[in-house]
Amino acid sequence: MTSTIEVTNLSKHFGKVNAVNDVSFTVAENKIYGLLGRNGAGKTTLMQLLTGQEFASSGTISLFGQPPVENAKVLQNTCFIKESQRYPEDFRPKDVFKTAPWFFANWDQEFADRLIADFRLPLDRRIKKLSRGQLSSIGVIVGLASRAPLTFFDEPYLGLDAVARQIFYDRLLEDYANHPRTVILSTHLIDEVSNLLEHVLVIDEGKLLINEDAETLRNRATNVVGMKTAVEAFIGNREVLHRDGIGGLSSVTVAGLSESERRDAHAAGLELSPVSLQQLIIQLTRTETKEFEASA
Amino acid sequence: MTTTTALAQPASPLKRITNVAKLHFANPWTTLGLPWIILGVIFVGSLTIWWLIYSALSPEQREGALEGTEFGGSSFFIFIYMMVVAIQAISITFPFALGYGVTRRDYYLGSTLAFVALAVIYTTGLTVLGAIEKATDGWGMGGTMFAPIYFGESAPERIFVTFVLFLFFLFFGSAIAAVWVRWKATGVTVFFIIVGALLVGLIALTTFTDSWGAVGATLVDLGVLGVAAWSLVLTAMSGVAGFVLLRRATPRNAA
Repeated sequence: MTSTIEVTNLSKHFGKVNAVNDVSFTVAENKIYGLLGRNGAGKTTLMQLLTGQEFASSGTISLFGQPPVENAKVLQNTCFIKESQRYPEDFRPKDVFKTAPWFFANWDQEFADRLIADFRLPLDRRIKKLSRGQLSSIGVIVGLASRAPLTFFDEPYLGLDAVARQIFYDRLLEDYANHPRTVILSTHLIDEVSNLLEHVLVIDEGKLLINEDAETLRNRATNVVGMKTAVEAFIGNREVLHRDGIGGLSSVTVAGLSESERRDAHAAGLELSPVSLQQLIIQLTRTETKEFEASA
Repeated sequence: MTTTTALAQPASPLKRITNVAKLHFANPWTTLGLPWIILGVIFVGSLTIWWLIYSALSPEQREGALEGTEFGGSSFFIFIYMMVVAIQAISITFPFALGYGVTRRDYYLGSTLAFVALAVIYTTGLTVLGAIEKATDGWGMGGTMFAPIYFGESAPERIFVTFVLFLFFLFFGSAIAAVWVRWKATGVTVFFIIVGALLVGLIALTTFTDSWGAVGATLVDLGVLGVAAWSLVLTAMSGVAGFVLLRRATPRNAA
């Protein structure tokens, strides 16, 4: 089995709102995917559709080769951690960790215990008394320790501090290396996760804008910085994604450059720097460039 | 060692369902703790009042003084509370369980199992307390709380009536919860307007056709057992409605 998820012409309408609009893509087995996009872009709806929590208006979804809706065989291999995951109010974190193994065949209690210590999560406090960050860490721990073959994290770290987020990234990578599985991570903190992601899906207004290997995507654009005249001369008719300038200096983001073009730029005294994934996505989602949509 | 995370062996349907049922008891405070505590408080309160009355009376007046408590409804709260328990249990664990990859079908069947278990547990509790009450001649004072007259006259009757009543309130509660999960407050409001309209309609129908006498006679004919048995029809309807509604429900973020 090579693709864990196959989505064809998937749409979900809420009244007149197209939350997900004719989206098709596949997700390869054992890779970490980033599902990126602005608020209300349709990320959560898409993940709810993939996990059978939401019903599609049209199109098909296949998880491990089968439709997910009400399919226990498929769904018991998934774990979906939502930003706003609600827990039974009278539960304490220890009740969550007591019940989770009943539902996840690959649950690793030792790993969970280690994460609990890492996140300094109080086990005996009632859920309603926990801080936002502590609540998020419960989800993160369940998502990691469940080792579900297909794990969804939807903005898993609301309220988590930078240290805790780093722990999450580190543990995810570590554990993923030992127990490869398919992870789909939706987040706003694109730069923080950019080294984690192997593949990027960008969704905007329900449409799939970018579906690319993270490495390819990173090479898709370059910042060219130098004297305004030199920069302008260099870019010529090239496609410009973004333009900035102060006085005589100019900084322009252009689509990927070939080796010879890079040499030309250096010869012209221009400085080249990679564009961060976050910058790139901001620029791509802002620009309505047809080429970028077409290649997506 | 690097191993690809293997797909889980499908858990047996029964296992999946019992896991959901266990979920409702994972923290037994709401389902088992609080109701007994409240019932205990009411019981102690009643005992105190009975004792006050009892001790204010002369020995010859005491005979039959608390007979009226046979018609008391102090343990009725527990039935209503079971409806609340069912509503809470479903509205809170539904989105939780679906995140764990549970199907709606398994979730509902598991919850049904949990509710039947709750009905058994509470029926047992009330039966035991009712038996003690009878054996001690109303806690030594002729008071009645756990075995009021309308639960039936013999122990088997009381067991049947309480069990059936618990089932009714739990499943009516789960139907309301399903409406809540599916359509939130708007849905529940509409639901109660419809239920209210149906009741008023029935009352109007009975009044206009001048058949209150007949209704009364039928109820007397049916007796406590008959009425309780007929409630099973409503219970089954609630159970099926809850299943149908929840089958198409989506866990939403809004509380």
